[in-house]
Amino acid sequence: MPPIDCEDQELLEGFLAETTELLEKLDDDLITLEKASDDTELMNRIFRSIHTIKGASSFLGFDLLVKVAHKTEDVLNRLRKGELLVNPEIMDVILEATDLVKLLVSDIKAGEIQERETEGTISKLLPFLSEPAVSAQAPAASAAPAPEGGVDAPPTSVEQAQVASASLDAAPPPVSEPAASSVPMPDATVAPPQKTGGEMVPKKAAPAPKPAEGKSEDLSDNTTVRVDVKRLDDLMNQVGELVLERNRMIQINQNLQQGDVNKDDFNEEFGKLTKRMNFVTSELQMQVLKMRMLPVEKVFKKFPRIVRSMARDLGKEVDLQIFGEETELDRSVVDEIGDPLIHLIRNAMDHGLETPDERVAAGKSRVGTLVLAAVHEGNQIIISIKDDGRGIDTDRVGRKAVEKGLLTEDQLAAMSQREMFDLIFLPGFSTKEKATDLSGRGVGMDVVKTNIKKLNGIIEIKSEKGQGSEFILRLPLTLAIIQSLLVEVEGEVYSIPLSSVLETLRVDQRQFHLIGGQEVLKLRDMVLPLLRLQKIFNVQQRYDKNDFCYVVVVGAADKRMGLVVTRLVGQQEVAIKSLGSYLANIPGIAGSTILGDGQVALIVDPVGLIDSVEGNAGR
Amino acid sequence: MNNALVPVNSDESRSELIQLVSFNLDQEEYGVDVLKVREIIRMPTVTRVPNTPHYVDGVINLRGKVIPIISMRKKFGLMEAENDKQTRIMVMDVDGELMGFIVDAVSEVIRISGSEIQPSPAVVASGVDQECIAGVINQAERLLVLLDLEKMFSLDERKVFGSL
Repeated sequence: MPPIDCEDQELLEGFLAETTELLEKLDDDLITLEKASDDTELMNRIFRSIHTIKGASSFLGFDLLVKVAHKTEDVLNRLRKGELLVNPEIMDVILEATDLVKLLVSDIKAGEIQERETEGTISKLLPFLSEPAVSAQAPAASAAPAPEGGVDAPPTSVEQAQVASASLDAAPPPVSEPAASSVPMPDATVAPPQKTGGEMVPKKAAPAPKPAEGKSEDLSDNTTVRVDVKRLDDLMNQVGELVLERNRMIQINQNLQQGDVNKDDFNEEFGKLTKRMNFVTSELQMQVLKMRMLPVEKVFKKFPRIVRSMARDLGKEVDLQIFGEETELDRSVVDEIGDPLIHLIRNAMDHGLETPDERVAAGKSRVGTLVLAAVHEGNQIIISIKDDGRGIDTDRVGRKAVEKGLLTEDQLAAMSQREMFDLIFLPGFSTKEKATDLSGRGVGMDVVKTNIKKLNGIIEIKSEKGQGSEFILRLPLTLAIIQSLLVEVEGEVYSIPLSSVLETLRVDQRQFHLIGGQEVLKLRDMVLPLLRLQKIFNVQQRYDKNDFCYVVVVGAADKRMGLVVTRLVGQQEVAIKSLGSYLANIPGIAGSTILGDGQVALIVDPVGLIDSVEGNAGR
Repeated sequence: MNNALVPVNSDESRSELIQLVSFNLDQEEYGVDVLKVREIIRMPTVTRVPNTPHYVDGVINLRGKVIPIISMRKKFGLMEAENDKQTRIMVMDVDGELMGFIVDAVSEVIRISGSEIQPSPAVVASGVDQECIAGVINQAERLLVLLDLEKMFSLDERKVFGSL
């Protein structure tokens, strides 16, 4: 088998892009189909997708893929003709087959074709092919059997033509004449199942960019971005203006050097310039930020599938409602929130929602509701996962935590409702007696907490026993540029991400209390642990002792803490700069930024600080 | 160019011409491979970074990039000195990352042939880690200590650095 040459490489890339897109839609469509099994249009679309995938892969000689896709297509074809009825069992198998197709495609993408076990899945498909057609019920049950050779025939027949032509000269693959696929074949029939010889071993995609091993589920392509031409034009315009302003600035400087301006003129000119520069750069910033944005749909769309299979495994009935999937957020955030959301959904499905019988007994409708919603609020995106299940039983949670030795009776007694909720985030905590496939190891919620913290996000829990729970995630829109609060600690300037700042106070230090060596402040109804940045960052005392200082109350995930600083400088939007690998992982420091005067200011990592305080308290 | 200085004893490298940037530190003269030096700048304001090894002076803004600054004097356990007009930061490429090193003064770029490099004597004064000395150049009127910066931050040290 000759190595894939340049032409083939292009074909291959086209194939991968198309297939990936089709597969992304396919999952969604299949789930919808289960609910609306008489939607012929949808049925046909699904059929076409899998058909296209089969056609294209047989053209390129991906043997395994063809086999799986072909059998799936056959089953779908029977469904389409109304010979079989859509039921959960069939859907399970079809979804399994789709997953296999995804896996195979991701193998191809990674450039390493592996021998995957496909027989298992295929053998599950086979019974549905031999099963007698549901002739008796068919006319009655499936209201609108797809009109064969009717409305939907033209598009499919064209595709079939392609497949047929491709399969005719499939072995050896038509490396020399890729145009073959576009030649329409008059006698278009469904391509016969391919019996290909040993030489049809799938070939390797020559220079694979990255072998994405172990990431078989990730079919999305994050290395390139598609940008609307309009947005690009806007950007170009802004850059043009920036160039104008730069010229203006050079001019002003020249005039100043030559000394032919008076002070007032200069002030006015320079003031104007500053304003315009400010305007243009913020516009530019917005534009570039927008280009990095992705709709949260990218993450949300895999959930219907997950919820469905979980509901079937758990024997629960769930109605998943998704709102605000068009909400956009930065790619960096999109990449990170997938995992925590899955865990939260699992949690809601497994612990939150009851079984249909339990629900009926509790006077609720059989079908549980799970609402997943995303919305913008200022500089944050808020994602909420809400179920109408049994809610968090704080008594039980508390008891479990004591049983597991995660805290003492005394500690438990002193806890507020909210602190009790927070117990579920403890690593190793689970109310389940036995770990199952789905949950019970006490890992999930810990993952949620760590990931959300990593994103500078905050989690809130609202829950009422018997009524359901809601997990609210507040996440920053982007990780590259953040709003920050600049504070001064004995002459040194530090930047605190505003997303984690809850409030600032000016306090007399004499109001601080000391509990077990830990300085605390009574703030309304809560006792706030304090941390002196001066102490933790070893800043030299520069000013005379002053009774008054400022306390910046920060929150990370579910914890609150007060940072004691000398002075508040102000609020500023800052770009995050990495400190490089040599200075990575300094406790309490998340990175650095460059201030208006060119100085470097360090960005405080409230999450790390809170952890370090907890760590000390534990010791 | 990674190993330009390492095979000191092999015959080919003996005749090869090497360019070194020479700098001063506490009355001694040192040299580093010119290809490792990205630029030489005057002392800007350094932002202190807490909880780092004592020889890390902090970070600076190098045209929009934040790079760490290492005090060579502190690193080598020499007496600390006030920064003056001669003080420079040599920005160098250490294993693909930029780092700045504070030195007393940078003097010149010199050319030497590989054969002039002698292995360093067993005992070197002034506490410079034996590890990072690639050799000594003994010319009529000067003695130059050749440094290998990549060795200066040995793997272990980097880990410590990272996990501090």
